[in-house]
Amino acid sequence: MIGGIKEVLLALVLVAVSIGISYFRKLDLEKDLLIGTLRSFVQLIAVGYALELVFDLNNLWLILLVILIMVLVGGQTAGSRTKGSLKGFTISTFSIGVGTFFTLGALLLLGVITADPKYVIPLAGMTIGNSTNAAALALERMYSEMKNKKDQIEQALSLGVTSTQAVEHSFKATVRAAMIPTLNLMKIVGLVQLPGAMTGMILAGASPLQAVKLQIIVVYMLICAVSIAAVITSRLSQSTYFTKYHQLVIS
Amino acid sequence: MFKIELKKVTRKRAVKEGNNLKEMEVLKGVDLSVQPEEICTILGPSGSGKSTLLRLINRLEEVSSGSIHLDGIDIKELEVLNLRKKVSLVFQVPVMFDGKVEENLRFGLKVSDEKSDEEMEKCLNLVSLDSNFLKRDSQELSIGERQRVSLARTLMHKPEVLLLDEPTSALDPTATLQIEKLIKDLNQELKLTILFITHNLSQAQRLGHRCVILIAGEKVEEGDSQVVLQNPNNPLSQKFIRGELVKEEK
Ligand SMILES: Nc1ncnc2c1ncn2[C@@H]1O[C@H](COP(=O)(O)OP(=O)(O)O)[C@@H](O)[C@H]1O
Ligand SMILES: [Mg+2]
Repeated sequence: MIGGIKEVLLALVLVAVSIGISYFRKLDLEKDLLIGTLRSFVQLIAVGYALELVFDLNNLWLILLVILIMVLVGGQTAGSRTKGSLKGFTISTFSIGVGTFFTLGALLLLGVITADPKYVIPLAGMTIGNSTNAAALALERMYSEMKNKKDQIEQALSLGVTSTQAVEHSFKATVRAAMIPTLNLMKIVGLVQLPGAMTGMILAGASPLQAVKLQIIVVYMLICAVSIAAVITSRLSQSTYFTKYHQLVIS
Repeated sequence: MFKIELKKVTRKRAVKEGNNLKEMEVLKGVDLSVQPEEICTILGPSGSGKSTLLRLINRLEEVSSGSIHLDGIDIKELEVLNLRKKVSLVFQVPVMFDGKVEENLRFGLKVSDEKSDEEMEKCLNLVSLDSNFLKRDSQELSIGERQRVSLARTLMHKPEVLLLDEPTSALDPTATLQIEKLIKDLNQELKLTILFITHNLSQAQRLGHRCVILIAGEKVEEGDSQVVLQNPNNPLSQKFIRGELVKEEK
């Protein structure tokens, strides 16, 4: 059985291989690799203990708090890639939060899962991870749309249309760009890549068929959450580039 | 048919100088009044703030201080989308939206006031384009054709005021004279008030009842086109008209 501390330490051999490559090929990555190894170790162990606690206590408020923290971390990650990151942070946190709570809420209400932390927290994690990517992509794409299509947008505005009408194409392009990774995932799932949830269940001893059923639910959940996060991020991000008098402001 | 008044209009912009942002006054307290049904030309070296002036009247940008009035009403009191349809701006570099010319001409029109082919053809003919242009791909037009389609697209909205930013800069002499004639006709027949930017002195003389010279964001000269262009008062505008304005003075 994988998972004893002895096995973990043995797996460090693999890190040694990588550090060796870096040393002999003069990649100058030894320090980063060491810090990364240490960091992932501490981070995961800490998370492991925290989750043990949450699973044991099985308290609804605690579960919500954990999800909330994950949403904030996601929002911070997505927002930090754009300039003026406070707005980016607020927008992505909100979008990721709405997407996550809506999807999980729907699964709970439909009775697909129960409010058990061992379902809710890993599923929330996957939802938030994918929504974070979508939000980050949407923020970036919207910015470049505004910058590159400034002339077109202002031409449209000057003909008396609203800012939302003037950016219609950019908005669609942004939502699409944000959703494409998840759409691609839907296409190749199981063929090229065995996703995390499935891998985890199979490693933990579940039958492939059981694992696949869960995976299908996960994919549907992700596409729903990602659509919500992509649309909300795009719309809110778009609105930050316009005054209420339909003037484009971009530096 | 509108009267346009600018009162001490100032526009500041953040401009990058190396790595730091500097605030630059693009327009410095400009006073200007354009009478209804008048053609007023604006002359000035490039970078003097001519385009910015028109953008402010179209309210694509906001004045930093001062105010702009349309028939005595501050444009801030007006509904901005309506203002832009009535006080129309034709860009220096026209942008065509993807699709056919007819789709461009229809752009921004409400479904309720959907225009017939006839009206689109009329607007095209006004700018001396043949009606078979309707089906042409707008991305495949020459710059001169774009300038004319862009003007036609604006005319579809039946504006009261035309703000024209060097609308003939990419046209050959014949096409230029055709557009000038069109501008005069629109002015006389449809009673449009027209603000016309040009860097061409003789064009200003041919067109304008009145002309204004803008240098480095300041109005340095204003008056009857014939008089101003023959006998400018201001030393800077004298140099500008003689073509001797050097960079530092701009
Ligand atoms: N988007 C912009 N951002 C910053 N500065 C600008 C921008 N557009 C124009 N400017 C500056 O404002 C000044 C006036 O520009 P403009 O009104 O286009 O002049 P003109 O039309 O007379 O050539 C110029 O110095 C120009 O560099
Ligand atoms: Mg200009």
